[in-house]
Amino acid sequence: MPRHAGRLLGLLPILGLIGLWQIAVSAKLYPPVLLPSPAKVAGAFLQWGPMISANAGASVLRVLIGVSLAFAVAVPAGLLIGRYRGLDRLTDWSIQAFRSVPPISLIPLAMLFFGIGDTPAIVLIFVSALWPLLLNTIFGVGGIERTLLKVAASARASELLILRDIILPAALPSIFTGLRLAIGGGWLTVVTAEMIAVKSGLGYMILNAQMTFRTELIFAGIVVIGAIGLLADQSVRQLRARACRWQDGLTSSHG
Amino acid sequence: MSGFIECIGVGKTFEGKGGEGKTGRVEALRGINMRCAEGEFVCLLGRSGCGKSTLLQMIAGLERPTAGQIVVAGRELDGPSPSTSIVFQDHGLFPWMTVRAYVEFNLKARGVARVARRTRAEETLTMTSLSEFAGRYPHELSGGMRQRVGIARALTTRPQALLMDEPFGALDAQTRGHLQSELLSIWAVQRTTVLFVTHSIDEAMFLADRILVFTPRPGRLAADVTVALPRPRSPGTPAFAAVADGLRAALGSEGVAA
Repeated sequence: MPRHAGRLLGLLPILGLIGLWQIAVSAKLYPPVLLPSPAKVAGAFLQWGPMISANAGASVLRVLIGVSLAFAVAVPAGLLIGRYRGLDRLTDWSIQAFRSVPPISLIPLAMLFFGIGDTPAIVLIFVSALWPLLLNTIFGVGGIERTLLKVAASARASELLILRDIILPAALPSIFTGLRLAIGGGWLTVVTAEMIAVKSGLGYMILNAQMTFRTELIFAGIVVIGAIGLLADQSVRQLRARACRWQDGLTSSHG
Repeated sequence: MSGFIECIGVGKTFEGKGGEGKTGRVEALRGINMRCAEGEFVCLLGRSGCGKSTLLQMIAGLERPTAGQIVVAGRELDGPSPSTSIVFQDHGLFPWMTVRAYVEFNLKARGVARVARRTRAEETLTMTSLSEFAGRYPHELSGGMRQRVGIARALTTRPQALLMDEPFGALDAQTRGHLQSELLSIWAVQRTTVLFVTHSIDEAMFLADRILVFTPRPGRLAADVTVALPRPRSPGTPAFAAVADGLRAALGSEGVAA
């Protein structure tokens, strides 16, 4: 089967779901006010297109900022923690304890400290993206082949060179795994946070649509959330394939 | 004659964690005295577990002896010496670096400027017949080719001694034969000292000026055999067989390492 045709197979379950949805609507499983038809939801996109994109843009921007900040902190920290056993001992318990706290449970605190707006949302995204990035970076460093470090030691390479030329690239595939999880987690968090602590974004839009009884807008919001999630994940995969091209043939092609 | 590499009463005891009922203390080497002159090709021969690789790692400055001292180029060792380079059995290539970047690595670690690095790397790549593979990644190379890259990296700093830890141990017989001959011709040109760990009598016989035979538990130096045969050597000759028999006897009676 040609590659692209194979890819399109992934659309099948989604089309199937839309089919079932249409059947449920036709069978009048719920009144149309509660369960709008796919066509009506498509209409919502036409009717509120600019408003939906503005809210989607706000959500995406928050995730980008939060995840970028988390990346900037977690990757260097993870490389150092993975490299130095003392740092690992120092931080291991704390990391394990803090990462067990669901970011959503921090929403009340975030609102107390940062009020309502972008700041609490970005802080929450930062927190939810931090742990997967940190843990996967540390894990990636731990998996490095010992001989490679011996090569570096025998070349009398500086710690900076070792971190940059050996530890970082060795951990890169794992860092990308962390990034995928971080973006996924950040995306979940932003929608939730926007339902409570922010007055814009897809989460806010959905909650607002519920209160004004525009169920088709709720559905449209959910569709956008799913589509952006898929798009983000695919982009990270592409990025990973490009950055880790040297991995070709070392691993299976299933990302 | 003072040796370029000198071991004086070198011993190594590993203090492992005493998991699963073991005491944890393993004496890998005891009382090793040896000298290796400049330009000499010396093989460390012994079965697995006799501590020969441990000795090489200590001479490379990657492990510290727990007894005695090691002197390289007139200086007592305290970490890896700039006068030596090591080649590992599992070659240690960086999967994310092209052959050229990898071969430049030891120079980069020394702060050699980019242009000078490139020039020196090109020389080494030519010498090791790797020029046309300069842009390749390790996963695109065969096992023999990878080890050739490992040797090239070690050679770029023009080390006075090349330390080789069973470099051809994982290769098929034919590739191994090729690389042995190539190593000898590089050695003939560069006249570096070579310290070469192997468990193969034939390999040691084919390469070395002198063979140090190790026996295990704890690793000790059992014999110091000079191989005075002219190169290239072939296993068919009676003189070769006589030296090989001597080595076999020195290795001990527990089976024969081919």
